[in-house]
Amino acid sequence: MSASAFTRRADAALADPVLKIAVERTAGTAEAKRGIAVQHFAQFEQARVRGAAIKDHVIEHLGHYLEQFEAAATAAGAQVHWARTADEACRIVIEICQAAGAKTVARSKSMMGEEIGLPHALAEAGIGRIETDLAEHIIQLAGERPSHIVWPAMHKTSEQVSALFKQHHLEPHNEETIPAMAESARRHLRDGMLGADVGISGANFLIADTGTICTVTNEGNAELSLVPPRVHIVTAGIEKLVPSMGHAVQLLRLLARSATGATLTQYTTFYTGPKRQDDSDGPQAMHIVLIDNGRSTMREEGLAEMLRCIRCGACMNHCVVFRQIGGHAYGGTYPGPMGAVLTPALDGLAKNRDLPNACTLNGKCQEVCPVKIPLPTLLRGWRERSWREGLEPVSVRQGIAAWAWVAQRPRLYRTAVRAAIFGMRRFGRGWIKALPMASGWTAHRDMPAPAAESFMRRYAKGER
Amino acid sequence: MSARADILAKLGTLAPTAGAAEALLVDPVRRAVAGDLTETFLAALTLPASGATHDRVAAMADVPGAVAAYLDTHGLDRAIFLPPDPRLAADWSGFKLSPVIMPNEPAVVAVARLGIAETGSLVFETGPCAPMLPNFLGLHHVVVLPVAAVVAQLEDAALAGPQPRAHYWVTGVSGTTDIEGQYIRGAHGPRFLHVILID
Amino acid sequence: MTPPPPSPRVALFVTCLVDLIRPQIGFAALRALEAAGCTVIVPTGQTCCGQPALNSGARDEAAAIAKRTITILEGHDAVVVPSGSCAATIRVHYPELFEHDPAWATRAQAVAAKTYEIMAYLDEVRGWRPDTALAATATYHDSCSGLRELGVKAQPRRLLKGVEGLTLKPLKGDETCCGFGGTFCIKYPAISNAIATEKAGAIDASGADLLLAGDLGCLMNMAGKLHRDGSTVRAFHAIEILAGMGDGAAIGEEA
Repeated sequence: MSASAFTRRADAALADPVLKIAVERTAGTAEAKRGIAVQHFAQFEQARVRGAAIKDHVIEHLGHYLEQFEAAATAAGAQVHWARTADEACRIVIEICQAAGAKTVARSKSMMGEEIGLPHALAEAGIGRIETDLAEHIIQLAGERPSHIVWPAMHKTSEQVSALFKQHHLEPHNEETIPAMAESARRHLRDGMLGADVGISGANFLIADTGTICTVTNEGNAELSLVPPRVHIVTAGIEKLVPSMGHAVQLLRLLARSATGATLTQYTTFYTGPKRQDDSDGPQAMHIVLIDNGRSTMREEGLAEMLRCIRCGACMNHCVVFRQIGGHAYGGTYPGPMGAVLTPALDGLAKNRDLPNACTLNGKCQEVCPVKIPLPTLLRGWRERSWREGLEPVSVRQGIAAWAWVAQRPRLYRTAVRAAIFGMRRFGRGWIKALPMASGWTAHRDMPAPAAESFMRRYAKGER
Repeated sequence: MSARADILAKLGTLAPTAGAAEALLVDPVRRAVAGDLTETFLAALTLPASGATHDRVAAMADVPGAVAAYLDTHGLDRAIFLPPDPRLAADWSGFKLSPVIMPNEPAVVAVARLGIAETGSLVFETGPCAPMLPNFLGLHHVVVLPVAAVVAQLEDAALAGPQPRAHYWVTGVSGTTDIEGQYIRGAHGPRFLHVILID
Repeated sequence: MTPPPPSPRVALFVTCLVDLIRPQIGFAALRALEAAGCTVIVPTGQTCCGQPALNSGARDEAAAIAKRTITILEGHDAVVVPSGSCAATIRVHYPELFEHDPAWATRAQAVAAKTYEIMAYLDEVRGWRPDTALAATATYHDSCSGLRELGVKAQPRRLLKGVEGLTLKPLKGDETCCGFGGTFCIKYPAISNAIATEKAGAIDASGADLLLAGDLGCLMNMAGKLHRDGSTVRAFHAIEILAGMGDGAAIGEEA
């Protein structure tokens, strides 16, 4: 059976020693820092319960809060648009840019932009795209997709970054140090960022009662991209809603702690509509694109809890599979456990059935999720659906069917166990080095040979 | 059907029962802020992760002197961007004032509406006298904060009623760990944050 | 603590892996439960809890196996399992399997409520302490299902502390998955191996003579990796040590 695309990508990742170092440096550090932050927040578990309750409340009443948000945002002077699909969302964004005569847009980091394929749509429309977040700038230069939702350029070494900057920056760094490289990016991006016609952001939260959007960032690039331009466009998933500021605050207490171990990010910014008449700066127009792209379906088809996600990245930072294969192996916009749940929903189960399967169901992701998403349960759900839809390989279906048939017939089962013991012990006693029917196992580890007789047989013979 | 109608038809628009959302705000889950608010604020502000420095003066009239002293320690000229904020009214005659904010402005002075003790954050909002861009452009961000304006928790920073165009919390200096996870100060925003408390 | 009922009738569900690979664990479980005052019944119709089918998404097949398993287990005061993952399958997942089947839901819930991982049962329900000695150092790995689905963490450590002469050394990343994951290690062997390699490194670095855990699948994975890489660490199921059977052949050493 030929390896799937996922397995090929995972194998390539496993063979890359540089990737492993990069993953440990970011995800490993994040794990350690989150642990410290949680230690210092005695009520963290209660905060998770409250966060999950807030999100569940919103998900249950999503239509109501969307309407409330739209009314409040419109009253504040913003224009609210709705998009059912990624394509629809891109079309809306491009039309707004074209109507504004935009030659360049400055983007602050947004996974939603990545999800809907906005970079490609902007390129097709001939609109220049300035990625202002340092990591997004790096991957734009490299022509790659993000490999982590919080550290998109996690997979890149400083040597690779240096080479990119030397190739593309007009006044690149003189010394091979990370501060010098960051300074080069600061120089390179500044004028473009400040001179862009349109600024495009995502939103961490949409606050329904005031029509406010909230962004949570560290670099200052978001504000520098979103305040000077004529137009500010927000692309946000419909699940980003919260009823009020007070609800957002409670989730904010969970977000940075879970992502990086910080109490808050450096900048927590709330925007309500465009520039007011007597404001001294700000965009003339603000457009908010509310994007469904499968979320309403997720709610109706057993994935409602996934809509609680606040995009902190804790699940992937603590996932033993992600820690070995990194983000690109997942093949979609979102990696790690949350990506394994979302990607089949966004991109189809048949193409992505490896993702829910390439999981040990160890449950660490659920343990660290700030809003208690039952990720293993959702992954099991995908496995069940895959089975129902006949997507699992024939050999697996037959194997499970045979196992189940025999397991319901104890006498037959005992005979099968005897045969298995006999068969395995032919390949060795004590430790087996190579077992043809389990070559995946014995390629990497020894297999303990079975004892001469099964427990049930020995027990039946009177052993105690 | 329009996208809006489609999406809302799928989701339904049933309103929650009265008080359900508000019930989730009762007793917010948070660490208690005990003791002196200003001390707690400063403890958070001076954590290594924040990167901020601070000073304390008796009155607004002393602020220009404190700003001058700060600029001197960094070997900077006494040249600043000062927003036309009446809360910053003082004798700024010893300074060269930028008429307009420049992309590489060395130093920007601002006044925060509040400080939040829980996190060591500074709270700002936009207004006719309070432009937003300078607070993110300056290399050095010097922020005036009356001690009486330090509140306990994040919830206390919320503004009731109609919201300003933007309001934002600044918690430490700008930074990034995007390259090899190494922390860099001053990614795009200010590299230095200096808070001058007024008693 | 209120005294446990005298001599409960306990069904021992040995698990398919124990039955097939290492019966020793089943006999150790038997011995420990009797020492704790239980009357142990080994239902002869037992085969498998259905976890492979369940984890593969084969809900109907899992339900069919579950019905048989419930039937043979339900007539006892308690069901004890020397495996966190199998105990969790019965205790947590059987009720889920029959969510929409009221008759079986009741029966599943009844069995689930009285099914225990063996060390949690001996420690918390029976209040038992081992009466054995073993001069050795050991390190303990928390198998994920037992840890996260059943809260098995302190109980094995409390019990092992009662083994005279046994020193427990901490395992760095004791709660980190070993990479077994049941069907996972068969379907994604390369990723499983990468995870197991790190786990084996941590076990070696602990400096302990013995590796102990509560799940044979995890133990086979870790011990197999350790042995392949030339480690001298030997592995037992913790119940073997607790039952005073730690002086025999370790995993992979049986003739």
